[in-house]
Amino acid sequence: MFGLIGHSTSFEDARKKAQELGYEHIAEGDLDVWCSAPPQLVEHVEVKSPTGKSIEGAYIDSCFVPEMLGRFKTARRKVLNAMELAQKKDINITALGGFTSIIFENFNLLQHQHVRNTTLDWERFTTGNTHTAWVICRQLEINAPLIGVDIKKARVAVVGATGDIGSAVCRWLSTRTGVAELLLVARQQKPLIELQKELKGGRIMPLEEALPEADVVVWVASMPKTMEIKVDTLKSPCLMIDGGYPKNLDSKLDGSGVHVLKGGIVQFCKDIGWNMMQLAEMDKPQREMFACFAEAMLLEFEECHTNFSWGRNNITLEKMDFIGKASVKHGFSTLNLQLQAALA
Amino acid sequence: MQTLESPSISNFAPPVSTAEGLPDFSTESYKDAYSRINAIVIEGEQEAHDNYMSLGTLIPDKADELKKLARMEMKHMRGFTACGKNLGVEADMLFAKKFFASLHGNFQKAYEASNLTTCFLIQAILIEAFAISAYHVYIQVADPFARKITEGVVQDEYLHLNYGQQWLKANLATCKDELIRANKENLPLIRSMLEEVAKDALALHMDKEELMEEFMIAYQDSLTEIGLDNREIARMALAALV
Repeated sequence: MFGLIGHSTSFEDARKKAQELGYEHIAEGDLDVWCSAPPQLVEHVEVKSPTGKSIEGAYIDSCFVPEMLGRFKTARRKVLNAMELAQKKDINITALGGFTSIIFENFNLLQHQHVRNTTLDWERFTTGNTHTAWVICRQLEINAPLIGVDIKKARVAVVGATGDIGSAVCRWLSTRTGVAELLLVARQQKPLIELQKELKGGRIMPLEEALPEADVVVWVASMPKTMEIKVDTLKSPCLMIDGGYPKNLDSKLDGSGVHVLKGGIVQFCKDIGWNMMQLAEMDKPQREMFACFAEAMLLEFEECHTNFSWGRNNITLEKMDFIGKASVKHGFSTLNLQLQAALA
Repeated sequence: MQTLESPSISNFAPPVSTAEGLPDFSTESYKDAYSRINAIVIEGEQEAHDNYMSLGTLIPDKADELKKLARMEMKHMRGFTACGKNLGVEADMLFAKKFFASLHGNFQKAYEASNLTTCFLIQAILIEAFAISAYHVYIQVADPFARKITEGVVQDEYLHLNYGQQWLKANLATCKDELIRANKENLPLIRSMLEEVAKDALALHMDKEELMEEFMIAYQDSLTEIGLDNREIARMALAALV
């Protein structure tokens, strides 16, 4: 069995969803009630690969909402309790979705392996970042030509280049895709210099200088709501792949030559009979999902029960190859620009 | 999906200094709060003993098993009494008796009416789940002596919770309505007991929010084990909010 740990995009959505599912006790509660609400296994689902293989999975809502980000202990508890529930339900491999993997990493939850009388078995969990990175790279390779960007001549800015996903994307793009130049953007200089050494290339730049030079921008860092991007300084055409969480590029950019694509999203080849992806505001919630969630499914299909994506900067090209191959084999495709809408 | 470089959550990291460290066990404010919390635990274990003995009189063929559980509770009571002595604290037993009065009254009423389901729900599920959750939270912030004792106790309490669960599970077909009624009457008491003790618990570095969540997890797990489905549990949990 595979598992997905997720959460609602806002407190308001969470209450609505809880009401629909018949969890009145928390639907009617205020934020304090949600802070002490246990995680819930809300849905079981069966997924059948085009290979004929069927797997079962479960969706666990951590009862975390982004409004809890300021409450350090609460956020930590939500993630650990959801992981404990996944393990108690004997789920082989569970992906940490949305903010939960960010909380896990930033709050260093590796120090908290003991939850009540359970010792968390890290092998049962994955951040799903390898698949996310592979999907973002494929989205770039497929969609840049669609809007008239020649990949071999393209300058690609990776914003958040030194993160787990960002560094994997840089590795792939420089080795496999062969883009003309990588523009490396991140907050801290030291890891940027190390990344540049590893890649044997790439130009370290501040964001505002990188954007006007880029034919493609890969965002794997979410932007603060206050950040302004001057559309008229961007190249035309320009492909923006929004691989951050939460996704908020769309609302900031509506320039004519700028094409925004939700990054790290895959589509399954047929409808999955589940309700929970509506929480993640997918356009086609019956098929679309975060690539990190799909990674848990792929690992279950491949019976690869291990923490495939774990820690930071452990994503190798070989791992991306493995997960990419599995992704195609089991019926996933990347979310792409809708050409007509894109060229309108 | 991970975006570790996210500037929007750049301040989103654990505070350098949190209230997570161990409290100073020697301060007067700690000892004052401990005198009530310790008393609650001692009284709780004493009442648990008495309740299991009472249950034994209602199901004579289980009397020996229930006596065993009761004896364990007495052992716990002695352990927690030692915890108070170790810190030089005198437990405020008068406070603790009042603290348990409503729940105790409900158990007695059910016992006199031979309502086994209600008795089991109150003692073996609600009180045990409450104890387990509080002990788990306490273990993280207890003094070394109390920590060791509490770690031993919590394992026993799981056995007791399990005993109640198994009985209710086996009798679910006939006891469900009574179970739901008893929940409605008694779960709000647990919540108000938690509220009543929240300030003292905080002095021991135990958050009300965490205590409530731990309790809900233990309670929910227990109802699941008994055989109730998610919606039934959700409806039952609603009673905690009223």
